[in-house]
Amino acid sequence: MGDKTDVWQGTLALMVLRTLESMGPQHGYGLARRIEQTSGDLLQLNYGTLYPALLKLEQEGYIKSSWGTSENNRKAKFYDLTKAGHRQLKRAAAEWEQTTAILARFMTPAEEA
Amino acid sequence: MRTLRALAVRIRGIFSPRRRADDFDAELESHVALHTDAGMRNGLDATEARRQALIRLGGAEQTRQAHRERRTLPRLESFLRDVVYGLRTLAKHRGATAMAILSIGLGIGANATIFSMVSRFVLRPAPVGDPATLLALHTTYDKGQCCNNFPQPVYEDIRDQASSFSGVAAYDEIIPASIGGNGEPARVWGQAVTANFFSVMQLPMVLGRGFATGEEDAPDVVLSARLWQSRFNSDPSIVGKTVTLSSRVYTVVGIAPASFHSADQILDPSFWVPLGDAPQFDVNLSHPQSRNFHWLAVVARLKPGATRMQATAELNGLAQRFAQTHPETDKDGGFVFEQAGSLPPHDRDTALLFLTALSVVVLLVLSIAGANVANLLYAQAVSRQRDMAVRLALGATRGRLQRQLLIESTLLGIGGGVVGVVLSLWATDALSTVHIPAPVPLNLAVHIDWRVLVYSFALSVLCGLLLGLAPAWAAARPQLANALKGEDPLQRVGRSFSLRNLLVVAQVAMSVILLSITGLFLRSLQSAATIDIGFRTENLLLLSMDPRTENYSTQRTISFLEGLEQRAQSLPGVASAVLTDVAPLSGGNRSDGFSVVGGDNKDASAQAELYMTTPGYFQTLGIPMIAGHDFTSESPNGPRVAIVNRVFADRAFGGRSPIGQQVNGGGMTYLIIGVVGNMKARTLGEENRAVLYRSLPQAVADDPSLRGYTLVVKSAGNPNALLPAVRNLARTLDPAMAIYDEETMEEHVRTAYFLPRVAATLFGAFGGIGLVLTVVGLYGVINYSVSRRVREIGIRMALGAKRGSVERLVLRQGLVLTLIAIALGWPAAWMLAKMASSFLYGIQPHDALTFSLVPPFLALVALAACYFPARRAASVEPMQALRTE
Repeated sequence: MGDKTDVWQGTLALMVLRTLESMGPQHGYGLARRIEQTSGDLLQLNYGTLYPALLKLEQEGYIKSSWGTSENNRKAKFYDLTKAGHRQLKRAAAEWEQTTAILARFMTPAEEA
Repeated sequence: MRTLRALAVRIRGIFSPRRRADDFDAELESHVALHTDAGMRNGLDATEARRQALIRLGGAEQTRQAHRERRTLPRLESFLRDVVYGLRTLAKHRGATAMAILSIGLGIGANATIFSMVSRFVLRPAPVGDPATLLALHTTYDKGQCCNNFPQPVYEDIRDQASSFSGVAAYDEIIPASIGGNGEPARVWGQAVTANFFSVMQLPMVLGRGFATGEEDAPDVVLSARLWQSRFNSDPSIVGKTVTLSSRVYTVVGIAPASFHSADQILDPSFWVPLGDAPQFDVNLSHPQSRNFHWLAVVARLKPGATRMQATAELNGLAQRFAQTHPETDKDGGFVFEQAGSLPPHDRDTALLFLTALSVVVLLVLSIAGANVANLLYAQAVSRQRDMAVRLALGATRGRLQRQLLIESTLLGIGGGVVGVVLSLWATDALSTVHIPAPVPLNLAVHIDWRVLVYSFALSVLCGLLLGLAPAWAAARPQLANALKGEDPLQRVGRSFSLRNLLVVAQVAMSVILLSITGLFLRSLQSAATIDIGFRTENLLLLSMDPRTENYSTQRTISFLEGLEQRAQSLPGVASAVLTDVAPLSGGNRSDGFSVVGGDNKDASAQAELYMTTPGYFQTLGIPMIAGHDFTSESPNGPRVAIVNRVFADRAFGGRSPIGQQVNGGGMTYLIIGVVGNMKARTLGEENRAVLYRSLPQAVADDPSLRGYTLVVKSAGNPNALLPAVRNLARTLDPAMAIYDEETMEEHVRTAYFLPRVAATLFGAFGGIGLVLTVVGLYGVINYSVSRRVREIGIRMALGAKRGSVERLVLRQGLVLTLIAIALGWPAAWMLAKMASSFLYGIQPHDALTFSLVPPFLALVALAACYFPARRAASVEPMQALRTE
C-alpha cells in the first residue's frame, strides 16, 4: 500500500471523527452515507475501506463500539467518540486547518511580484 | 503512544481470531442489510439492492481480508505459524531432531562452561557498591616492574595526599586464627582492614555495620555470611555478642553480605578485624611501620567526577615526590591500578592465555557438532525436496520456504542451547568442587550467571541460523522437474565434491586438532604421574596446628610441639612422628636469598625454599641423606644449623662439599651439617628448587611459621586409622587448639596434581565429545552416499563387480576424505600446540608420540566408521536395486 492510501486514510479518519462528533453514535453504513452527503456527494467512498479505518481508530482508543439497534430495527454496531477521540479531533482539525491554510497560500494566484 | 496501544490490541487479536472474525462477519452482514434496505426504499428489488450494496462495499471477501490484516499483525502471525509448523516437523523426525539437539547441546554446553569461567574471572565486577569506581592499587619497583603490596607509610601518604579518591582503604590480605565457642575450635582465615574498608567498598551489610572511624584497633569483628551460617546458625541477634578469635574476645559488629568474598574475588576470608589487630594474628608482621615492608593490599574509591586518567597522573606525580622525599626506599617506585576484582596483574596473562586456549577448543567442539547437524539437516532438506517442490509449484515463494527452514534450524539451535546450559550447570558444579592446592582459602567457584545465559542464547541462535543456511539454500533451488519425478533434485552433472563432503572434511580436520591437543594433555598427565617428587607418600598422616594463633609464646610453642611429637611417637601403630612447618607440594611456603660466607666475591646468592624439620624427618619421608648428618637435639638458642638439598649444594658450592660451610640468609648465618636429595617443593611441574631445611626449634624462635606446624606421622598400617588417636592426643594437650588440614600424604600429593588433572579432564572430555561427533558425522555422510548410490552399485554388481571391490570403493571414498582432512588439520594442530606449552608437564608441545599417533588413530577410527556403510553397499542385491526404479 502506497502513500496515497495513507493520506487518504488520514483524512478519512478525520472525517469519521468529525462526523461522529456532530452526529453522535453511528453505525458503519450510516457513517459512510453521512460522509458522502456532507461532501455533497463529491466523494465516492468505497465502503469496504471504512471498516479497517474504524478498526484502527478503535485500536488507538479514539472511538469505541457497541452493538445496538438501528432506526429500522436492524442489529448494527454503533461507533462513538471517546474522550481521547474528542482531544484527537481538536488536534487533527487544527493541524488540518494549518495545512490547508499553507497550501491555500501557494494556490491563490500571486497578486504582486 | 497510541500506536503502541494499537500494537498491543493487535497482538492480543492473534490469540482470539475466531471471536473477532465472527463479530466482523455480523457487522458486515448488518452493513449489507442496512444498505439493501436503503436500496429497496429507493425502489430496487431485493436482489438488485443487495447486489448494489455488495458492489459499493468493494467485495465482502476483500473487506474481510483488509479488516483481518488490520485486526492482527499478519507478519507476526505467519511467523508464529511457521514456528508451530517447525516444531511439528521437528517432532515428526524425532530421531534426527534428538541427535541434532544433543550434538548442539554438547557444543553449547562446552562453550557455556568455559564462558562461565571467562565471565567469573574476566567479566564479573567485584560484588561491591559501584564496582566501576573501585580501584585496586599496586606499587611497582625498578621503574615499572609489576607489582607489590604497599608498605603502611606509603598507604598513609596516598590516603592523605591523593585528591582523586574519596576514600582509600588497606588490608592485610589473609591472616589465620582459630575460632572458639560452639563446638570444636576451628581454623579460620580472615583479613585485617582499615576502619574505612567497608565504607570504601560500599557494602550493604546483612546485619549490623562495618567498622567506624576510631575503631582502628577495637576488639570488633565483622563475620562473613558463610561463617555466620555455619558456626552461628545464622543467629539473627548475633550483633553485640562476643566470639573468641585466637583466645581473644571480639564483639561482632556486623555480617558481610553472602556475595562478598574479597575485593580481589579470589581470596575467601571469613572474618574481618581492624588493621590495628593485625599483629596479633600475623606472626610475621615484624616491621608493620617500615617503608620497606610491603604487606598491605590497597583499594581506592574514585571521587565522583574524577577520571582514571586523572588518578594515574596524580599517582605518577606522588611517586616522583616520594622518590625525592624517601630516596632510600621509594626510588624507581611507582603505582599502577586496575578495577578492583579484575584478575591480579601477575597471573593475568597466564589466566587469559589458558581461557583463550580453552575457548578455542570448545569452539572447535561446537564447529564439529555444527558440521554434524548441518550434514543432517542437509540430508533432510534433500529428502524434503519433493515436499518443497510441491509447495513451490503451488505458489509458495522461495523466501517463504527459506524462512521456514531457518526457523526450524533456529529452533534446533535454541533446543541445543537449553540442553547445553543444563549440561554446563552440571559441569560448573563439578568444576567448583575441585580441591585446589593453595595455602590459603580461595573462592574459585564458577556458576552460570546472566552473562553466560545471554552468551549461550546468542550462540545457539547464531548456530541455528548458520546451520539453516545450507538447507535453506537447497530449498531455494530444487530442480522442479527432477524433484516432482522423485529424482535427486540437487543433482548436477559433474559435481564430485559436494557441500556434505566439504563439511565432513572440515569436521575431521578439526577433530585432528582437537585430538592432538587432547593427546598432549593426556601425555602431560601421564608424564606428571611419573615425576619423581623426591619423597615417599605411603603410610603418612598429616595434621596441622598453629599454637601462635592461641597466643603461645615461643618457648611454649616449642614445648607444646615437642610434647606432641614425643607422645605421638609412643602411640601404638606409629612408626615415627616428626614435625615440619608445611608439607612439601603445598603450593609454596617461604623462600629467601642465601649467599656463602667467605665465598668468592661474585654474587653467589641463590634463592632457596625454607622448611623447618625435626630429627627423623628425612627418614620418615624417605628423602636420602647424601652427606653429613640429620639434626640432633639442637638448642633453640644454640648456633644455627641447616641441611640443604642437592640443588642448593650444587648451586652455591659447585663441586665442593658444603658440609661445615656457612651461608647467610634472612639475617641469619647457618652452619651446613648435611645434604639431602631433591624434592618438589612448591608444585609438581617445577624444576627442582634449592631448599634449605632449618632446625624447627631454632626457626620457631627466629621466624615463626605463618601457616602453623604440621605433624607428620608414619604408621605401620593404614594411616587413617591413626587419626582419632592423634587428634585425641592434641586435644588433651590443649582443648582450645584448632586442628586443620588433616589428610594422608597421598591425598595431599593428589591435590598437587590438580592442574594436569583438570587440564587432562577438560581436554579429554572435549576431545572425546569431538571424536564421537566426528565418527557419527563421517558415518552419516558415507551411509548417505551409499544409499544415494544403491542403483549405481547395483549396476556395477550386475556387470560383475565383486562384493569386495564394492566395499573397497566405499571405504576408499571415506579414506580419501579423511586423508585430505588430516593433511589440513595436522599442520594447524602443530601450530596451535605452542599455545599449550606453558600448561604441559614434562613433555614438549610438539610431542612426537602425540603427533605421530593421532593421524593413524583417526584414520583407523574413520575406517571403522565407514565399515558399516561399506558392508551395506556390498550387501546390495543387484536385482532388487535395479528394480526400485
